[in-house]
Amino acid sequence: MARLPLEDVKILDFMWVMAGPAGTRMLADYGATIVRIESPTRIDTARTLAPYQNNTIGPDASGLFSNCNAGKFGITLDLGNPRSREVIADLVKWADVVTESFSPKAMRAWGLDYPAIQAIKPDIIMLSSCLMGQTGPLATFAGFGNLAAAISGFYNVTGWPDRPPAGPFGAYTDYIAPRFTAIAILAALEYRRRTGKGQYIDQSQAEASLHFLSPALLDYSVNGRVQFRAGNSDPDLAPHGLYPAKGEDRWVAIVCRSDDEFARLCDAMKRPELARDARFATAADRRENASALDEIIGGWTRELEPREAERILQARAIPAHFVQNSREFYDDPQVKHRGHFVELPHSTYGKVTVEGPRAKLSRTPAHARRAAPTLGQDNQYVLEKILAYDEDRIGDLVASGVLG
Amino acid sequence: MLSPYRVLDLTNERGLLCAQILGDLGADVIQVEPPGGSPARTLGPFFQDQPDPNRSLYWWAYNRNKRSITLDYTRSEGRELLLRLAKDAHFVIESDMPGQLASLGAGYTDLAAKNPALIGVSITPFGQDGPKANYADADLIVLAAGGPLVLAGDDDRPPVRVSIPQGYLHACADAALGALAAHHERCLSGLGQHVDISAQQSLALATQSGILAAPLGADEYRRAAGGLKAGNMIAQLVWPAKDGFISCTFLFGSALGVFTTKLMRWLGEQGWCDAATANRDWIGFGAALASGAEPMSEYDRARKILSTFTASKTKAELLQLAIEKGFLFAPISTIEDVVESPQLRARDYFQDLEHPELGRSFRYPGPFVKFSESPIKYRRRPPLIGEHNRDIYCGELELSELEFSQLQARGVI
Repeated sequence: MARLPLEDVKILDFMWVMAGPAGTRMLADYGATIVRIESPTRIDTARTLAPYQNNTIGPDASGLFSNCNAGKFGITLDLGNPRSREVIADLVKWADVVTESFSPKAMRAWGLDYPAIQAIKPDIIMLSSCLMGQTGPLATFAGFGNLAAAISGFYNVTGWPDRPPAGPFGAYTDYIAPRFTAIAILAALEYRRRTGKGQYIDQSQAEASLHFLSPALLDYSVNGRVQFRAGNSDPDLAPHGLYPAKGEDRWVAIVCRSDDEFARLCDAMKRPELARDARFATAADRRENASALDEIIGGWTRELEPREAERILQARAIPAHFVQNSREFYDDPQVKHRGHFVELPHSTYGKVTVEGPRAKLSRTPAHARRAAPTLGQDNQYVLEKILAYDEDRIGDLVASGVLG
Repeated sequence: MLSPYRVLDLTNERGLLCAQILGDLGADVIQVEPPGGSPARTLGPFFQDQPDPNRSLYWWAYNRNKRSITLDYTRSEGRELLLRLAKDAHFVIESDMPGQLASLGAGYTDLAAKNPALIGVSITPFGQDGPKANYADADLIVLAAGGPLVLAGDDDRPPVRVSIPQGYLHACADAALGALAAHHERCLSGLGQHVDISAQQSLALATQSGILAAPLGADEYRRAAGGLKAGNMIAQLVWPAKDGFISCTFLFGSALGVFTTKLMRWLGEQGWCDAATANRDWIGFGAALASGAEPMSEYDRARKILSTFTASKTKAELLQLAIEKGFLFAPISTIEDVVESPQLRARDYFQDLEHPELGRSFRYPGPFVKFSESPIKYRRRPPLIGEHNRDIYCGELELSELEFSQLQARGVI
């Protein structure tokens, strides 16, 4: 097997729940060796979150946890036990990068903040990720990504103008911030490679995610305009929306990016005269008469299976796709072709399915190498193989209760 | 951090964020635009609402820390210049449909022919290959295909997208990550490679792993106004406040139930509910609902108690309670609230960039992380069309003035 791109990278990972671990998961796929610290007593929230294997709650059943932690090694350490310090010090010496995603002050309270970590290893790279950043009046505001997405503006610009905000699905900033976590770590590794210097990285999940709202933030700071939720409409294009298909709660997304595409849509609907209708002549006209137009298109799609509508329209190069749920995504021939899902052997369930890496590298492709660790699964491996502790020392640590 | 490296950014409106991330990290990014300007410059909103290719705020949003040249590489003279530029580049990013650049002799293989260390990144709706690779696309299309769309919105209306297009931004961030992973490997091997990104696949990450429901044999998530449904449970995430809305995580189980217990005990103390409700087992409540041991009407009653409370307080009061008591409340901020946020001000988040051509400076969203040793700097405002043609063609490619003006006259530049 070809060498993995990050095979030489070693990460000591204190992160938990979703935003943090999802970021280091990406680096694990590219070959980084990651040792993840978990509390033996305060269970990682992610282990309790749906979706569950076989739809049944259990300590290793969370698909979210396995998706965020595939490829990592797991060791349980009670950070309140002083014996954890010698293990952590040795892991810091082993690591290139230390990551954590507690609310600010937690690492300091344990004596594990950046100055303490750096004292152990001067060129260490340390990244802290939390909702609002390490400083400022909201530094200690803690919680989950739905809260960060709400306070960062995503919720208010998602939904119908005549209704309360619907919000994007769930902990939206937890889908954005992890990419920037992984990017920041790789950039800091590059900087250390050239200069020999480590550093500290303060990541506010909210601040990273705001890059996905930049045009609207500029519209306010430049023009003073406050953008608002607008359903599925587009400021320039029409048609632009979801149209009902045959069946209950079935939808097909249709967009026309040009007058040509609209004319082709009219042909597909066997209504070529609409392309010559003055109400629909230009995108601006179509936007003006959007409800009449949407009524006509919806009348046509309503008689079609969702996949059939997509097929008819894409055959004419008109942007269209039916709205897929997990089952349909899983069965999507494109998703299958790309090998999006990966099955990994698992000690409790025999095998589990996770998502594979998203960036496909042609010469050194990434791949998920092992299922997420069960609680304390790799205690022995980490102490014996990574830290080269002898049997007596390991026995002593076990007896101290520091491993839980 | 990436100052020794040059990026050629050939992307259209789909891919601009990727190279901006590399530019923020210090890379020398050259945006290569068709003569007349990138199609992304036609996207609004515009400065003072005046449509103009140099006033597109969409363009401004994703092109700082880049220089711009114009080049028509659909013509052979232009293609030759692109190949010369690629010889000294470290990354080339593109977002045309699969095969489009290759058909011009400007695909990754062509560009890397004389520069095997070149890393090529392609950002497309569905990836480079597969039955849907050539599907016609738009933000709404990749959202529908990728999984997050079905989960968002009121259940009596169609699913709904974020009103500011998101689909390709997820892909662009994955693309920057893939480029840097390939770069890390290149430092060891000396070799480049191609990085292939599918927006559909990138978007599956925006389902909170709900995309795994089918292979796990779990319930599909379904949308509910301001929350989600799994089985018979509605997880409500949007709640009323006196002056708008808040998000609140009101859930159960061994981890989240701890927060709900704390909140309900406090609401009991404050007289918002009876002691029996306040003191019930909120950790086991979700399981009790799922088994039918507790009727759903009890859950609805609890939600009613909480929403009566939240509706009586302002967003600011509820945020203060979140900080003081550790409750899972956050205000649903407007865009104005975000730009005016005291938190972001305290952290000097927004950065002023001067636009000399307009005689003033503008406030941009700030660095995506704070690096202690090598902080992200906003060195350049987004470029005007072809602003750096002369610098790059004459200064760096060493074209003579005559060659330069002839290329201009022929419309190649």
